[in-house]
Amino acid sequence: MENVCDEQVYSQLFRTHSTTVFNFIFYKFGNEEKAHDAVQEAFVKLWENCAKVTPDKAKAFVYTVANNLYLNVIKAEKVRLKHRPDQAPVTRQSPEYLMEEQEFGERLQAALNRLPENQRTVFLLHRIDGKKYNEIAELEGVSVKAIEKRMHLALKSLRENIDGI
Amino acid sequence: MKPTFLARWINGELSPEELDAFRKTPEYATYERIARASEQLRAPEFDVEAALERSRDARHDSKGKVIRLRPSALNRWMGVAAAVVLLFGAAYFYISSRPALVQTGIAQQSEVVLPDASEILLNAGSQVTYREENWDSSRKVRLEGEAFFKVAKGKTFTVETGIGEVTVLGTQFNVLQRDKIFMVRCFEGLVRVQAGENTVELPAGTAFRMVNGQVEPAAPVTDTTPEWTRNESAFRSMPLGFVLEEFQRQFQVEVNTRGLDLSQRFTGSFSNTNLKMALESIRAPLQLSADVNGNQILLYAAEAP
Repeated sequence: MENVCDEQVYSQLFRTHSTTVFNFIFYKFGNEEKAHDAVQEAFVKLWENCAKVTPDKAKAFVYTVANNLYLNVIKAEKVRLKHRPDQAPVTRQSPEYLMEEQEFGERLQAALNRLPENQRTVFLLHRIDGKKYNEIAELEGVSVKAIEKRMHLALKSLRENIDGI
Repeated sequence: MKPTFLARWINGELSPEELDAFRKTPEYATYERIARASEQLRAPEFDVEAALERSRDARHDSKGKVIRLRPSALNRWMGVAAAVVLLFGAAYFYISSRPALVQTGIAQQSEVVLPDASEILLNAGSQVTYREENWDSSRKVRLEGEAFFKVAKGKTFTVETGIGEVTVLGTQFNVLQRDKIFMVRCFEGLVRVQAGENTVELPAGTAFRMVNGQVEPAAPVTDTTPEWTRNESAFRSMPLGFVLEEFQRQFQVEVNTRGLDLSQRFTGSFSNTNLKMALESIRAPLQLSADVNGNQILLYAAEAP
């Protein structure tokens, strides 16, 4: 049977889940250093417990460790996201259009920073990482329903913020 | 609007009728732009392979877990520097077939637990390297600096240093090797020391010491653990230069001397936790004067009154 103590299995798990752990912590707190630390902490713990944790439980294990790591410890900072570089636009867009897009992007960014940490995390995991609600639920350790509610509230607040309500 | 409506919308789960109705609302335009703009967002770069490498190194350390026993506000930056050195050092050794490396900076101690549950307590400014593979058949540790070993029973356990080698089967002993000084103290069991042409068997309570290539008589061991594990540095007839170096390993200070013979021998001890008291423990018996200026300490012969 596959064993997490096996270097191959461990590396595979790391490659599959580390980016999500990193992004998850980053979306929560906006702190890259803490996100890096969370990845290390979670996977070193996984290694230390490799005899006890089966490969199919490993994902939930690292998520739980990462999630517990900063419970109420650090204050959220601004989440600074990057914009995807333009993928060679087919039609040339007018400068006005581009400017407007950029301005909207900035307003979205500002609105994101005003969201409660749990709503922002759900929104960004879905939008950037393409995570499904059930996967996010597993990460956060809550029900899918709760995640859907957070997503709904996130969109509602973002819209209200951007439209200046 | 149901409390999950927007979540279903952005996930493409609405029925055509629901979607049609939603599109007619005045808010729809902004929602649509949020959905579009958020697709262009990216998280900060995360280099998976680099992180995996770091994780491998951290795992080696965690097998012999690095525990900072005595963190001090003074050594924050040294800690950072040591961590960086450790990282690069570990990365380097990883490339050349990966022995584990544990290192301590100034005023730090570390505890290393080896695969067979043998323990190494590292004094400040020291390092050990060892290979975890085939540990049970080949128990070998390379030491630079000073460490106290509690060896679990098993195959021969060897400590290699720049001057000599210590072999044991299962016991507790302290090895110190810095510059030209090599000292082994046996606290339990029996150890064999091999340095140059000398091979000595040390039963519990005895010690071996060599300074500048010369074997010197060593005082018997009466304690159960070395003094430094209790935050005290003790010396018996050790060169003053070595004592001052140890002082700088235990405290974040720079010691300079003026007109002092650093080869003169010193017998005494100092606290590793109280800088003022520690300085006094060296200064007073040697009848020196000390000028303290921030982290700089100047020691010089007291002038005659």
